Amino acid sequence: MRPNNLDDLVALIKAKTGADSTIYTGIANEPAVRIPAGKLREVVTAMMDDLDITHLSAITAQQRGEEKDLIELIYHFWQGSGIAVMMSLPVKSPQVDSLIDIIRGADFYEREVAEMFGVQFAGRKETPPLLLPDEWDQGPPFISDEEGDV
Amino acid sequence: MKKMSIPIGPQHPLLKEPLSMIIDIEGESVLGGSLRLGYVHRGIEKLAQERTYVQDVHLIERICGICSHVHTTTFCLAVEALLEIEAPPRAQYIRALMCELERVHSHLLWLGVLTKHVGLDTIFMHAWHDREMALDIMETISGGRVLHAANMIGGVRFDLDKENEVMIREVVEKLKTQVGGLLDVIENEPALRARTQGVAPITGDMIRKYCAVGPIARASGIDVDMRRDDPWFPYDQLDFEVITHPDGDAWARTFLRTEETRVSLNLCQHILEELPDGPVSVRAKRRVPEGEVVIRTEAPRGEVFYYLRSDGTDKPARLKVRTPTLSALSMLPEQLAAIQVADIPVVLAGVDLCIACADR
Repeated sequence: MRPNNLDDLVALIKAKTGADSTIYTGIANEPAVRIPAGKLREVVTAMMDDLDITHLSAITAQQRGEEKDLIELIYHFWQGSGIAVMMSLPVKSPQVDSLIDIIRGADFYEREVAEMFGVQFAGRKETPPLLLPDEWDQGPPFISDEEGDV
Repeated sequence: MKKMSIPIGPQHPLLKEPLSMIIDIEGESVLGGSLRLGYVHRGIEKLAQERTYVQDVHLIERICGICSHVHTTTFCLAVEALLEIEAPPRAQYIRALMCELERVHSHLLWLGVLTKHVGLDTIFMHAWHDREMALDIMETISGGRVLHAANMIGGVRFDLDKENEVMIREVVEKLKTQVGGLLDVIENEPALRARTQGVAPITGDMIRKYCAVGPIARASGIDVDMRRDDPWFPYDQLDFEVITHPDGDAWARTFLRTEETRVSLNLCQHILEELPDGPVSVRAKRRVPEGEVVIRTEAPRGEVFYYLRSDGTDKPARLKVRTPTLSALSMLPEQLAAIQVADIPVVLAGVDLCIACADR
């Protein structure tokens, strides 16, 4: 998937899921589409079925600049070159569908995002901690506090 | 027969790094298992946000004690992309030389671990002896045996003189002979085949399902290598084979990694032949313009992924690192299911675990 195919991907997402997506070219080397968070599962299924994009390299979670009320998730796929699917979740109740039943390799990535950013992945039986100690009680370490410190 | 759960780790003689596993068994059959990471989690992604890019090069190098160089290479490529600068060609060839020497010593380290676990101590000692030769080269040219501090933003910190080049050529030629001998043993030693052939096979479908990468994927017939498929300079200028094997069992992984060692040694020679003249670094600004970049490279264990976002300051706004061991580890419970207890060490060693990388 090359950047000039992104229009096709946007059209595919519209046809398969009914969702409106927008092209994001802010990431050098990796074109991206921004989708509604509720459509993640359908979009990824369409990419797997129609474009044979199955390799998930990583999930990046972050809070951008002053947008402290949002958590952005970027799903980085690779099929000959990188392509990403991104979305924003409200920081007060961040929830998105889990992908582990269609991409088993997403398991550890989701667990890490869950413990570091407090994102809940719907559809998982459990989301045990991956890296932080069992007794960790200081909240997700990557979420900014009220003063804006990260 | 009564089912039992055996805890292995986080401190265990079988493991060189801390990992906690619960392995469920019934008699001699393994039913499955679960694992827990985090015992060497250092919060490097978070720490990187609190340090400058220059300091981060040294922090990033400490993600791993085996493939430390490929991490700094990937990080520097990411920062250089945002700065819109390129390290001079000579510097990038030296980076690639270090990457291939790192692959040589990592694969030989792994071969030693595997053969030690299956009781073939002679191969273990030969492999680790040969690994020392690669480490000696790295130490001689960089000053560091494990942490080389070779990379800086904008290039590398040292140059190769003619004396270095002659020494590297001599040692690499000798290593090729040694690795040829190891390959001969791997192909013909009945005891090694008996302990690894048909053990814990991984299918191509499993590789795709778990998004596994690197030698594990290639030993299961998946023809992928970031050096060829998503190349960065100078790999787009170099000719090299990408080895694959269809069987996916522990023997295929052993054979493949040792073959890859041979290919990397050939690459070292190729790099030295093509090594351009010129400077080894350019000046880089300390403040990095706003922007985001993704860089993928090929570590000894497979695809390394870095996402870097700058907000225009001298510190990263976000650095995301995904190491190849993480995907391999998620596959481990399924690999453990339906093997015999005696094969547990072969399966664990076969993955080429790097817990420090996975924990970060």
